Amino acid sequence: MRNILIIARRDLRAQFNSPVAYVVIGGAMLLLGVLFFLVPRMGGGFFMGSFWEVDRASMDQLFEYLPPLMCLFVIPAVTMRSLAAEKGSGTLELLITMPVRDSEVILGKYLAACAMVLVLLLATMLYPIAMFKWPWHLGALDWGPVWSGYLGCALFSCAAVAIGMMLSSLTESDVVAFFMTAGVLLVLYIVGFMVSIVPAAWADAIGFVSFLTRYHSFARGLIDTRAVVYFLSVTTVCLLVSFRSLESRKWS
Amino acid sequence: MSNDVMIVAKDLTKNFGSFRALDKINFEVGRGEIVGFLGPNGAGKSTTMRILTCFISPTEGSARVNGHDVFDDPLQVRESLGYLPQRAPLYLEMSVVEYLRFAADLRHLDPETFRRRATSVVEVCGLAQVLGQEIRYLSHGYRQRVGLAQALIHDPPILILDEPTSDLDPNEKAEFLDYLKQIGRERTVMLSTHNLAEVEASCARAIIISRGRIVADGPLDEIRAKSGRVRYVVSVQEAPGSAPYRGRGVPPKKGDVEDGLGKVAGVKRLAALPTDERAHAFELVSEQDTDLRPEVFKLVVDRGWVLLELHRDAQTLEDVFRSLTIGDERRNRRLGAAEQDQEEADEEDSDEGDGEDQGQPRVAAPGGGTAAKAQGS
Repeated sequence: MRNILIIARRDLRAQFNSPVAYVVIGGAMLLLGVLFFLVPRMGGGFFMGSFWEVDRASMDQLFEYLPPLMCLFVIPAVTMRSLAAEKGSGTLELLITMPVRDSEVILGKYLAACAMVLVLLLATMLYPIAMFKWPWHLGALDWGPVWSGYLGCALFSCAAVAIGMMLSSLTESDVVAFFMTAGVLLVLYIVGFMVSIVPAAWADAIGFVSFLTRYHSFARGLIDTRAVVYFLSVTTVCLLVSFRSLESRKWS
Repeated sequence: MSNDVMIVAKDLTKNFGSFRALDKINFEVGRGEIVGFLGPNGAGKSTTMRILTCFISPTEGSARVNGHDVFDDPLQVRESLGYLPQRAPLYLEMSVVEYLRFAADLRHLDPETFRRRATSVVEVCGLAQVLGQEIRYLSHGYRQRVGLAQALIHDPPILILDEPTSDLDPNEKAEFLDYLKQIGRERTVMLSTHNLAEVEASCARAIIISRGRIVADGPLDEIRAKSGRVRYVVSVQEAPGSAPYRGRGVPPKKGDVEDGLGKVAGVKRLAALPTDERAHAFELVSEQDTDLRPEVFKLVVDRGWVLLELHRDAQTLEDVFRSLTIGDERRNRRLGAAEQDQEEADEEDSDEGDGEDQGQPRVAAPGGGTAAKAQGS
């Protein structure tokens, strides 16, 4: 346990000592701001319309735009370095030959990546607080869906970070890891849009794996235990695969 | 060998796919020994070290470090050794002191011990001026020192250093080897290198490995004696320059000299050495118990050449190394087709071709008909 925290702390510090953390968080916040306040409704509802346009006391835009931003940009950028870059540069060899277990390395790195993403989630809490608590009062916000939305976002991110870790553990190049993670997460997210187009039998299957369908109930204020279990299972499985993949260096 | 055995490798074998990187390696290293682990590139030095540090597992065989099996107790094994991988891969965004603290944390040193150990390793590795600097701004030499410092931070009984001196300048190298001798008194040190001078300077014992097999293991003197060959250098005047030519007739052509020397009894190998246009110089190798000098002298006198130089060299470790590793490649090649399946044998053959080109630059003399004959005899 202690080793996990030491590794996590080092990783987190490395992220914040390099421009990566600031670029990722700053860039994500900037994009989110543009999407939230400026981008009008267009593309047949693909962009749901800006906060002012919709003119309702809700955080729907936040929970609509945050997951795709995470998938495409934040999580790939955070996880690409955690294993792929270390394998590429050889620093992993020095880390693993310290008296630490492989599982501690994986968990430590996972924890650090999750913490990074949670920092971003916390930063987005400025939106509801600034607009509905202090300094502005734009209306009576229903806080229930906001909390459940954040819970959904957090679970969604944990699962997505685990997927990123897994893909990062499979390659030695951080660029490859970035694009693989972004691609896989994007697919897992947007297949949700296909539920309404494909035949019913397919729709069930797609709805089952889609992050979007799982996540949407949270955004509407519903804490669905099936979704909780789903996200936690994805996390567990992906971490196990990363662990095995790290271990496989011994046998290759 | 001491009874206090710190590292034991028993029939270590490692296959990477169909490539056999290590082939039944056996060795023991005792407490207080500094062992040079020598071999050409790709011989399996790093693979062995990675097995000993539990980074990878052997395909067959076993190894024990400080009494712990690398397979069953990897954590205890790693606790008792300090390891510097090739090229010292460090976290570039950390400062030197942060890195050392990180290493100490993972080794569970308490802050008091860390302060004490850090003071000593920083002094020993000469890191005092760069402590606060980020590792990315350090030269390779300094990075290597940081790597060494992290390997020493917990005062391990065993040090495994993979090419620790590759990025150091000559002064740093000398300093490092001195230091190694110092710490090696109570520790077991295993360092890999392909620089033989370093081994001669710091190690009492060497293990020479070639193509995944140990070809020599023992005290340096024993290894030096092992090849049992002596090297001679002969130069014969080629052009008189301004002074009158003192020989009979005209100065000899290079081919004549080469032919003549090749026929001297007892010559095992003949190679041309680079010279200016005033002389033909050759390197001869013979068995230890024959002395070629009288024969060479007689040949020169009979032909009426002018002898500029004739001397005998004691065998250097470098020569032994070359003859051992090259000879071993030959043996492998012959056994290869019989022992292994055809695919593997093919692969090995092509590999060996490369190895020989690099390993034997001077043996292949120009106009090498005679040279080849001499070599074969």
